[in-house]
Amino acid sequence: MATFKEFRNDVKPNWCPGCGDFSVQAAIQRAAANVGLEPEELAIISGIGCSGRISGYINSYGFHGIHGRSLPIAQGVKMANRDLTVIAAGGDGDGFAIGMGHTVHAIRRNMNITYIVMDNQIYGLTKGQTSPRSAAGFKTKSTPLGSIEQAISPMELALTVGATFIAQGFSTDLKELTSLIEEGIKHEGFSFINVYSPCVTYNKVNTYDWYKENLTKLSDVEGYDHSNRDMAMQTLMKYNGLVTGLVYQNKGKQSYQQLLQGYSEIPLTQVEINLNENHFNKLVKEFM
Amino acid sequence: MGKVLMKGNEVIAESAVHAGCKYFFGYPITPQSELVAYMARRLPEVGGLFLQAESEIAAINMVYGASSTGARVMTSSSSPGFSLKQEGISYLVGSELPAVICNIVRGGPGLGNIQPAQSDYFQVTKGGGHGDYHIPVLAPASLQEIVELIQDAFDIADRYRNPVIIMGDGMLGQMMEPVEFTERPVSELPEKNWAATGTRGDGGPKIITSLELDADGLEKRNQHLQKKFAEMKEKEVRYETYKTEDADYIIVAFGTVARIAMNAMNKARQDGVKVGLIRPISLWPFPEKPFIETRDKVNMYISVEMSAGQMVEDVRLAVNGHAPVDFFGRNGGVVPTQEEIYHKIMMIAGGIQV
Repeated sequence: MATFKEFRNDVKPNWCPGCGDFSVQAAIQRAAANVGLEPEELAIISGIGCSGRISGYINSYGFHGIHGRSLPIAQGVKMANRDLTVIAAGGDGDGFAIGMGHTVHAIRRNMNITYIVMDNQIYGLTKGQTSPRSAAGFKTKSTPLGSIEQAISPMELALTVGATFIAQGFSTDLKELTSLIEEGIKHEGFSFINVYSPCVTYNKVNTYDWYKENLTKLSDVEGYDHSNRDMAMQTLMKYNGLVTGLVYQNKGKQSYQQLLQGYSEIPLTQVEINLNENHFNKLVKEFM
Repeated sequence: MGKVLMKGNEVIAESAVHAGCKYFFGYPITPQSELVAYMARRLPEVGGLFLQAESEIAAINMVYGASSTGARVMTSSSSPGFSLKQEGISYLVGSELPAVICNIVRGGPGLGNIQPAQSDYFQVTKGGGHGDYHIPVLAPASLQEIVELIQDAFDIADRYRNPVIIMGDGMLGQMMEPVEFTERPVSELPEKNWAATGTRGDGGPKIITSLELDADGLEKRNQHLQKKFAEMKEKEVRYETYKTEDADYIIVAFGTVARIAMNAMNKARQDGVKVGLIRPISLWPFPEKPFIETRDKVNMYISVEMSAGQMVEDVRLAVNGHAPVDFFGRNGGVVPTQEEIYHKIMMIAGGIQV
């Protein structure tokens, strides 16, 4: 069985020192090992942005796709090779701005894949513009007078479009994050994990200290029940979405793969495509 | 106003403001993000509006909407983002709405890189979106030329009710040069009597659409568009020639590459090889005249590009078999050097044996 070290490669990430994405990388590597995956059983499909580089930094199959399109690509991979454990990953701009349409549809489709968003509440790779996760009033190069738009609440949004697994992590809590990714991989259906992953270069508001001050662990919320959708929504609203832990899981809903009629148990990539004589004659007869 | 030292992307933005552009819808992408940042800061100062959209698709459709009200509007992007705008561009042409769209080209295909390239030449000059259409494409070679061409671009867009593309490469966007913003008289342009101005008594409801279900009707609409394209081909050709009168060899290059090629040309001339240069400024309509004037006198044309060879096809069409056409290019974000181009010229002229 592979250890987390076998999910490491020798590529040096070009992330800034202190970037929250390093922890996400480590958490994926640990979670993959903890659930018993081999590197060849895992595919990381990423979008574009600083976080999008993650597919090149893990020793597994890697797919560095198109800005905002990691989810459609990941769904294509999963459909054609159902044996692979598929993790889509990207930033908040990738998933909640240009890719928001895909995010909503991937959640409600409930395909058996995991989606990890590295949420730093800003555009980092293009050197600091507002993201759909930036708070109202947030000043950036593209909002010099402060953003006048409402920030998206990823967890609340996911709940309303039928999510079956949603969780939030924070880069400094590697243990919790690893466990959330493990649970996400094991979940039969679409698992969505939003990770507060601070940008130390361009976001001087939502810093490590800021998150530490403002985040509440759901495990500290008395009587929290992650199978209760109403409670999940109310708790998210109460804490303004600033919680970490497993927010909601519905184990009773079937995944897209389970509901798909006639979907081959053998991955499409490995299906025999030989035609025997009987089958061939039968086909020809249809046209005679 | 005297000269100021600015970055190419900022010059594009400031020139647009000078041309009366009040609305800008964009999305961050390297290497043109400075343009977006400049507009975010500058447009509110002139009573305009900047909006960072959720994607390039949203941005071009905001342009589509703003243009229908008669406003001067602009968006910009770089190659991958420009690809996303193609649908909207086709609809702008089909609906006959003006807009200026800037593409600061980077290395492709796919995500490629963020280094300078000219490999979107096919995309900007041959369509990219669907349907029978053309878009005037202007390719400045210096920051001062940007100032002129952006103003021209807005005028051309309004005159023909058609989008206009400014094509630069990442180098043009990132380089700094002194520029002077010259005030020039407002051009005489047709009244925008098609626009949704919200003014009572201006002729009843106006419908913006590119739909025409009847085949004969759509053909007529296309004939009308083609008539406009024919007029653009007649009136909107821009180019410069250097030392082509006595040239035995002519380099064809546009944008920043033309500047590098010019140095190579001068060096070759010092070594006794008579080299000239044709610099297309409008990539569409492509300047045919300087080729017709020279093609029976020169030994060879050399198209020098930051691509694997795209404009060279238009050079061949313009030369139309009268003379051989060769190509030299670097791509993937590699900028051709003066020495490389000089070497190519000398090799062709027989000065260097390989």
